[in-house]
This record gives sequence, C-alpha cells and structure tokens, in this order.
Amino acid sequence: MEPLSRFFYRRSEKALSDATLQASISRTTGKFVGARADAVAAFPGFETARDEGSRIKRETLDRLDHHLGRFIDEAERRGAVIHAARDGAEAREIATRIAKEEGVTLAVKSKSMVGEEVDLTGALEAAGVEVVESDLGEFIVQLAGETPSHIIAPAVHKTREQVSKLFVEKLGEPYTDKIPELVAIARRRLREKFLSAGMGVSGANFLCADTGSIALVTNEGNGRMGTTLPRVHLVVAGIEKVIPRLSDLPVFLRLLPRSATGQPISTYVSVLTGVKRPEDPEGPEKLHIILLDNGRSGILKGKYRDILKCIRCGACLNICPVYQSVGGHAYGWTYPGPIGSVLTPLMTGLAEGVPLANASTLCGACADVCPVKIPIPGLLLELRADERDRGLKDPAEVFGMKGYAAVMSRAGILEALERIAGVISSVFLKEGKAPWLPFRFSGWTDRRDFPAPAPQPFRKLWKKQRGIRPWNR
Amino acid sequence: MEPVGRKEELLRRIAVALRGHEAIKSASGATAGREAALSVADRIARFRNMFESQGGNFLAGPSLDPLLPELGEALRISGVTALFSPRGDERARLVAETLVPFGPFRLASPGEIRQLSAPSSAGFQTAEFAIAETGTIVQSGQKGKTLLPGLISDVHVAILSPAAFVDRMEECLAALSEDLPRTISFITGPSRTGDIEQTLTIGAHGPKKVIAVLLP
Repeated sequence: MEPLSRFFYRRSEKALSDATLQASISRTTGKFVGARADAVAAFPGFETARDEGSRIKRETLDRLDHHLGRFIDEAERRGAVIHAARDGAEAREIATRIAKEEGVTLAVKSKSMVGEEVDLTGALEAAGVEVVESDLGEFIVQLAGETPSHIIAPAVHKTREQVSKLFVEKLGEPYTDKIPELVAIARRRLREKFLSAGMGVSGANFLCADTGSIALVTNEGNGRMGTTLPRVHLVVAGIEKVIPRLSDLPVFLRLLPRSATGQPISTYVSVLTGVKRPEDPEGPEKLHIILLDNGRSGILKGKYRDILKCIRCGACLNICPVYQSVGGHAYGWTYPGPIGSVLTPLMTGLAEGVPLANASTLCGACADVCPVKIPIPGLLLELRADERDRGLKDPAEVFGMKGYAAVMSRAGILEALERIAGVISSVFLKEGKAPWLPFRFSGWTDRRDFPAPAPQPFRKLWKKQRGIRPWNR
Repeated sequence: MEPVGRKEELLRRIAVALRGHEAIKSASGATAGREAALSVADRIARFRNMFESQGGNFLAGPSLDPLLPELGEALRISGVTALFSPRGDERARLVAETLVPFGPFRLASPGEIRQLSAPSSAGFQTAEFAIAETGTIVQSGQKGKTLLPGLISDVHVAILSPAAFVDRMEECLAALSEDLPRTISFITGPSRTGDIEQTLTIGAHGPKKVIAVLLP
C-alpha cells in the first residue's frame, strides 16, 4: 500500500471534522479499553505472562537467523514450500506466480496485516484472480473500496447504516439495519466462496520453529475455513513472527486475545502443520509460505529491534489519545497508532513517516498496555533524534530548540525574557490568549491560541514565597 | 521455480544484521498461570465456568437418556433438521442416532452437509481435550479425523468424557505433539464477530451454537 503518512496533519484535520467517524472511533476504542482492563484484572498471571512473552520474543529476535532457519527446515520437512521475499514487489510476484501455477481463479483471504502491507489482494486481482476478503470487517472494507482503519477491527469507521447501504448497492441484498441480519448475509455469501475457492490466503499470528507450524487466531471462523477447505493454502508472514517452540504458544495465547478484545481466548485458534496427510479427509494439498523481509532485517540491526516483538493486538491504538482523536486512516499506511508511528518511518523511510513520530504526547499509555513490553515512547524519541541528525527537521525548529535550551539553562536571561514577554503580551493579548504568533511559529496558532505569559513569572512567585516550602512547613 | 538461494540470502541478511549488536540478557523460567493441579471435579467446574461465560452450552448427566430432551430442544430452537457424525466416531454416532426422535431430525452424511444447499445441521463429534484454563474444546485431525462437525455445521455438539479434561493449554499441546496432526483446532464457544459497530454478534462463519455434552 502506497504510504501517505507525510500528509498526517492534513488527514488528521479531515478526520477531526468528520462527526460520524469521531463517534465510531470513540465507541470502539472505549469498548476495547474497558474490555481489556476487565480481562487483565480477571487474570492474575497477566504480568508474569507479559514478562515471559517479552523475553521469548526478544530472545528469538536476538537469534532470528537460527530460529527462522529451523522454521524453514521443519515446515519443508512437512511438505510446505517456503518462499523468501525481500520486499513487497517480490512478495506480490511470488504470490501471483503461485496462483498462476496452481491454476487458482478464486481465493478466499483471511485478515492479514502483512497482506495489506504488500497489497497482496491488489496484486492477485491484477493477475485475474478473484480475491474475497472473508473477515467480515475486511469484507465490508473491500466492498467499499477502502483500507482497514484498525488492526483488529478493520471497519470501525463504518456505521451499520453505511454497511447496509453497501450490501444493497454491491450485493443486491434488501436493506436492513439489524446487525444480526447483516452478519447472516455475509455468512451466506461467503460460505459459497469458501466451498468453491481454490486457494485460501492467510497471514500468521505465530510461526513455531520447532514444528514448522502456523498458528492462526480468529473469532469468526473464517481463518479455519479458508485454510481447511481449499486445495491450496498460501501464507504470507513477516520474518519476526517466529517463536522458538510450539510449547511457547500458550503464553502468547494468554496475552493476545486479552490485549486485543478482552477475551480470555479467541473463539478459534488453529495450529496448522504441513500439508494434508494421506489419511486426512480434508486440508490443503499444497502449502506455500512467503516469508517477508520488507525492511525488517534492517530494523533488526539497530536500536529499534524491540519494535519487532509486536504481536499486533491493537491495545496501543485503543489507549492512545492521538488514535482516539484521529482514527486509523490519518496515519496514512498499514499500521496506525503508536505501533504504526514507529514502524512506518522505519519501513517507508524517515522522510515519509516521521510526522507520525512527532504526533505523540509521549504520555506512555501505549507502553503500559503493550503485552510484550515494547518501549514505544522511547523509540519515538529515538526517531525524533534521528530526524534531527539526518537534517530532516525544519532549521527554524532546531534553532528555536537550541535557543530554548540556552535560555532555560541561564536564569538571568530567562528572567529578562519573561519581563519582555509580559510587556509584549499586554499589547497583543486577546482575552488572555495570543491568537497568533509571527511566521515560523504560526503553525502553533493556526490551530489554537498560544497561552499568554502569566503577569507574575513562576520564578518570581517562588522567590516571594520561598519561606513556605511544603517539606518544612 | 524459486530463484536459487533466496532463502539462504534472507537468513544471511538476518545474520549480518544481528552481528555486533548485543543480545539482551534476561532471567528465564517463569511460567504464568501455573498452579497446583486441580482435581477432576474442579477441572470440570472451571471448564464449565469459562466455557459458559464465552457463550458455550454445557450439559452433563449420569447417562445420555436424561439429557436427550434438553439437547433435542436446544437443536430444535436453532432450526436444526439434519444430524451428522464422522465415520468411525461410535460414541458421537450413538448420541446422534438416539436423539433423532427428540425433534424434527434425520441423520445425514458429512458429504451432504458440505454442500451449499445443505439443511441446517448439527455435527456431533467426540472431543479430544477440554481445557479448563480457557473453557476450550480441542478437535484435531489426528489419525485421519475430520474437522467438519466443528467447522461447517450450524450447531456443534462436542462429546466429552472426564478423561478429556486438562488444566492448561500446555498439557494438550504436549500430548498432541507426539504425533502432530495437520490441524489442531481450539474452539471456545460459538463463532462471533464484533466487526459492525463493535456489537457482539453470534454466528459469523462457524457454528452458531456449541454444546459440550459430558458423559461418564
């Protein structure tokens, strides 16, 4: 998918003025945040599981060549065909070649963020394959010709009325605004596809190195159907999805659903190992696994390695005050929210993605909820430092910050400036706020008033009252 | 097909990236959720609690006969007319056959249920494990077993015996790892979606009702 993250501010403004979108975002994030908190409170082992999950993920990344090599060997031993893709273009080329060689005309796809990242659906469709998104949210988004706006709830930006209108227009179904009826329509239309598709396409939540297994977590049951009924199963997964052992899986199953939707476990967890055996009545005869790099090995190299621990639960999106305000589409690429603000600059380039790293208050809520303890605010700060080091910051901002640092470390200058500010503000003030600042700082006052300097600087008040210290009262 | 060496190149690229960058050192060994093993009765009670809180229906009795009216009623109100069980699963076949007089039911073959035009169906199958920790039923494809009853039916009836219950997920995975099947399927309650307005709705793609029947 073509990144549009450099337009973050413009896209945010659009999102902020969309009343329907605002209502759906706050309803969704509110529900998810509450459900997660309840689920965590009901499970005393959560903190231990976080420590353990975080440790396993980091240790796996530290020896990823070994673990990924093991996964490849074990999966191949059980009949899988492994493909390595350096970038999105290679992944698309491999996937379309597989579809062509396997003679696939209809594919059912489960939700896959990596699939979005490389626009797998678009590539297969361009090659003449009908691709049906089988996750209900993705199905809706596909009918609307849009992209997902949340990692685990792709259609959060749509109301039931909008969904119903889509079903009328695109599927010729009668209008209904009853959600169970809408779900029943999708069930019927998609069942038809599951039973006739030649290929199922899925991502992977986890790749187990010691058995070559793929673990898939879903609630709807589309992931199971699409990987059991069609003759070919195509998996596309990032290289960071590996965990060393099948026996490590339960730790992550205790973390992921609780963090994502607040469930103790998702309705369905499938552990898929190799191809259909001679005695099996169902299962795919062919299993293709595309392992995608797309910049991940570069991230592995340096100080951002921890971001690859992410298990894509979406908890950091829901809790983030920025995501809660602007929703997923404003971020302009596959991964929104705090996790996207780190991944996007690293994967699409600093110049493209760095507005996202700046669009954070660094409040730390994301790190508090992260099930694998990724230090997201710290990584955002690193990105801002990289931005300056590579000369991508506005020189005026760098100059301003340097000046600010110089003033703040010299009490005399600060005091003098405070006095001057007091005089100037008495001329320009409007109802106690400065409605505009001169050019270069006008970016601030375009969107809000600058608070006026206080008539009495804090330092002066402090001096006056220094006798009354709270600690020796 | 695959250009030679792409996989090797990927692994080499990763190895080079890791070179010279310190791995973290950390303590290991903690395991969340580990506690003293439960008695069979406690295990079943915990399973029931977790299973029901996630939308599953639980039936237990000293024998099959007293459960039949309630089971029949549960299927009837879901609109089920066809009952099927996999070949070779004698216990499930017996439950399905005995249930026929308790509703507008007839027996069907798995092949018939796989058709798009299939009537509303209930799939009966003996479950391999029941996990107390999460309230999960486990079906696997081990020894050529089918997955259709828990996959494409409208109501999934899982037959359980006390020996099937385990405390934690680890135990079930360890037992299945000895002869790892192509598919292990954890099933916890009915198929659901929250994709429209985050409103929980039952019956997305899988069974709309899951009934666990515990028999001695």
